[in-house]
Amino acid sequence: MRLGFLVDLSRCMGCMACAVACKAENNVPLHSWRLRVKYIDQGEFPNTKRHFVPLRCNHCDNAPCERICPVSALHYLPNGIVNVDHERCIGCASCMMACPYNAIYLDPLTNSADKCTYCAHRIEVGMMPACVVACPTHANIFGDLDDPESEISIYLQQHRDVMVRKPELNTHPKHFYVRGSTVALDPLASERPEGYTLFTEVKFLDHIGGH
Amino acid sequence: MTGAEVTFDVPIPKIIWGWLVSTNMWAKSIATGSFLLGLYFIKKYPEQDSFFRKWMPLLGLVFIGITLLVTILDLHHMFRFWHIFRYPHFTSAVTLGAWVVSGFVIVLLIAFWSWVSGNKKLLDKIVVPGVVLALFATIYTAGIMGEATAREVWVFPSEMISMLLAATLAGSAAYLIIDAIYGGVLKEKIKRELGYILFGSAGLLAAMFIGELIFAKMHSEFAHKVVEVLAFGEVAPFFWTGLFLAFIVPMVLVGIATEKRKYEYAFLGAASAIVGLWLIKHAWLIAPQCLPLS
Repeated sequence: MRLGFLVDLSRCMGCMACAVACKAENNVPLHSWRLRVKYIDQGEFPNTKRHFVPLRCNHCDNAPCERICPVSALHYLPNGIVNVDHERCIGCASCMMACPYNAIYLDPLTNSADKCTYCAHRIEVGMMPACVVACPTHANIFGDLDDPESEISIYLQQHRDVMVRKPELNTHPKHFYVRGSTVALDPLASERPEGYTLFTEVKFLDHIGGH
Repeated sequence: MTGAEVTFDVPIPKIIWGWLVSTNMWAKSIATGSFLLGLYFIKKYPEQDSFFRKWMPLLGLVFIGITLLVTILDLHHMFRFWHIFRYPHFTSAVTLGAWVVSGFVIVLLIAFWSWVSGNKKLLDKIVVPGVVLALFATIYTAGIMGEATAREVWVFPSEMISMLLAATLAGSAAYLIIDAIYGGVLKEKIKRELGYILFGSAGLLAAMFIGELIFAKMHSEFAHKVVEVLAFGEVAPFFWTGLFLAFIVPMVLVGIATEKRKYEYAFLGAASAIVGLWLIKHAWLIAPQCLPLS
């Protein structure tokens, strides 16, 4: 079994239900996110387009965070999920430095690294990840990549425009996007202007963890 | 540019490894550089080995102590640092580094005991493992940076050479400073040789950093942006001041000192090198963290 994720970006409407469900399911503290949805606006009025991009851990087959973790707090589960052992983590933040997807945070309450685990605790008892259940448009497609009959495998076979983030880094992500674009997936392809974002003007956190 | 703007996102972490890590690398350069050069001078000038037999372990222990202190302070679970020995994960350069530095501390303690007890043969026994451990202790941080896949410009092999040169720069500077503080106890030929090492290390390091400015940006868009941050962005004051103090000033002053035999200039050049090295290491550490990864 090799669990993977696919997001059909043409279905995503940026409602954030997935992000809220993730926060609630995993008790993710304030100023920390396992899953976030980024809005990117492109073009000039009237020819404009808004991209919605859900971003979470890619559960790479060749995960830099697992490789750099000095105490194996980040480890692979047999189903391919890259999991975190909070009790073993020493809080060195190497995983945050190594992850090219900005998917790991230091929990300010536990001081341990944390990230999306594809809701490993739910999968263990046969349930879908919280974000999949909450998505009103079924943009999140989750399943076993080794099973050719799974929905995700069929989706991957039927679409020619499958993308992953930063394929050049050889991390072999198990998180795919369909109907994406460079603007949506490359963080350097869009500007981050000061003071022009919706709801918040804070671009960067001043702190990591509680230290 | 694609004419696109991020109009909604959560605040994302920026500086994850800050001044504690810069200090770690800086102090480690002094500790390993003074050890490697100390051994070299003990073997080459046995008639004046007492200076190096004393200051090699003292400098090494003080600065490796600073390295270990800031490393542990930087852990968000500092009282779990022993996990690295209890649950080691040897694909991680962090783990390898912790083990190598622990071995290096043992070597330094033996060198210290050799000086205290006057047992010179004891030091001879640890020369080979000492050199190996000091070399690996110098370069393992390049391994950590190389494993930090997200942060291009750190992943180049030149990082390893740069760290070795930083060690010889810092080690020679440290000995020149101590010699000046103690009123010039070293023979002139040793001071000149320390000066040449400092001059050469500074020149080569300057060439490497300027080379990275020119060539790294051709590697990828991310590296290009990092170079922009280094040269013109928020860490540019650290970078250019570091470049000036660590390389240009020492080369000029040490050059004058060795030519004119005025070694007070070498002291100033050495002190400038030590300060500048921290600044440029800090700039190099921070710049790739200034860019969004997602």
